[in-house]
Amino acid sequence: MSPRPQIDHIRKPQLLAAAAEVIGERGFGSTRVADVAERAGTSPPAVIYWFGSKDELLTSALTFDEDRFDGAITERLAGLERPRDRLRALIEACAAEYDCKLWIELWGRALRDQGAAAARQGLDDRWRDRIAEVVRAGQELGEFAGDDGAEVAAIIASLLDGLAVQATLGDPGITPERMRDLALSAAELLLGCELPPLDREALAPGGGAT
Amino acid sequence: MVVSVSQSTRERILEAACDLIAAQGIDEVRIARVAMRAGASTALVHHYFSTREELLEQALIHSFELVGEGRFPDGDGEVESATAGLASAIRECLPEPGRPHRDWVLWVELWLRAVREPGLRPVAARLYERYRRWMEALIQAGVESGEFRSGVDVAATADLAMALLDGVGVRALIDDPAMDVEAAHDLVAERLAAQLGVEAADLKRVV
Repeated sequence: MSPRPQIDHIRKPQLLAAAAEVIGERGFGSTRVADVAERAGTSPPAVIYWFGSKDELLTSALTFDEDRFDGAITERLAGLERPRDRLRALIEACAAEYDCKLWIELWGRALRDQGAAAARQGLDDRWRDRIAEVVRAGQELGEFAGDDGAEVAAIIASLLDGLAVQATLGDPGITPERMRDLALSAAELLLGCELPPLDREALAPGGGAT
Repeated sequence: MVVSVSQSTRERILEAACDLIAAQGIDEVRIARVAMRAGASTALVHHYFSTREELLEQALIHSFELVGEGRFPDGDGEVESATAGLASAIRECLPEPGRPHRDWVLWVELWLRAVREPGLRPVAARLYERYRRWMEALIQAGVESGEFRSGVDVAATADLAMALLDGVGVRALIDDPAMDVEAAHDLVAERLAAQLGVEAADLKRVV
């Protein structure tokens, strides 16, 4: 019979940002709903009102973060015409944002929680589709070899994940630059196409979309 | 030797902790349950490990040092060819049911911990370094025997292999419908075959 909590002053994005921060710092296992509430300046019932459970909080926080990344990518790709430039931009963006702490948390939860497993699958599919779309466009234009967009995307996505884990762990062998270079050369070999650095003109707003 | 007796008790406790971490996740593991599983008293567990955190950290280290011995042997084993050696190495690094699956769950737990606990980072770095040297040696052996393309960038190919194995391995571990252990093995075999200039079929076949 609890009354509807006082939530009017707090917006969902603030809660998600707080959740991503706290889970990133403490890990899912050591995060209490109360910690997230405190960070967002609200009460635990307000958090539960929005998310229902702690698992839901993790998947929502990661989805929120992935939406932000996806939005940034969309903007980035909008100025690039050629598939080879778009693929390079995808890989560069991924290496620049290598930190995959929340993904690791989600993998850990996916081992033991059906909801987390389903959320993981959905987010991963979206990311793979994003890569596949660029690969297929390049294959249709004859810029990239092959006709197996989905398969190429699965390889590139898996490779980027493996590299991101080591970069996130601070492994001296895999810096973000090394991550980018290894992924780029693997993609080049896979697609039989060079992915040269993006020039200034292509980077200028609207510059490549002529 | 008194030492060996107490070591075996210590190992029994660590093994029990590894089993429970894999089954329940590290955050759920309690000393009392580890003690029960190891057939020891909680007092005895505390005798070896003063805190729960110390026990859990030592359990992860214990698991990978054992994996390390199997997976990353120092001497070169008896393999018919470098290609066959690499093919079975690929398979050993994937979460097949049984012991490899348990070790893979612990591997993910290590990621989870090492991301956040500075004390575990060097442990993870050491394990990856060992993994890297082992992978480089396997590739180098094939270059020297003439099975792999000369002029292969051994370090880059080893890094590629490890990253692919982690990326496909975690998907197989969490039952991604598009990536079971077989599909994961095939994917890695095909990429490495292209890098090394060998037939993919030879890296897919595990004797």
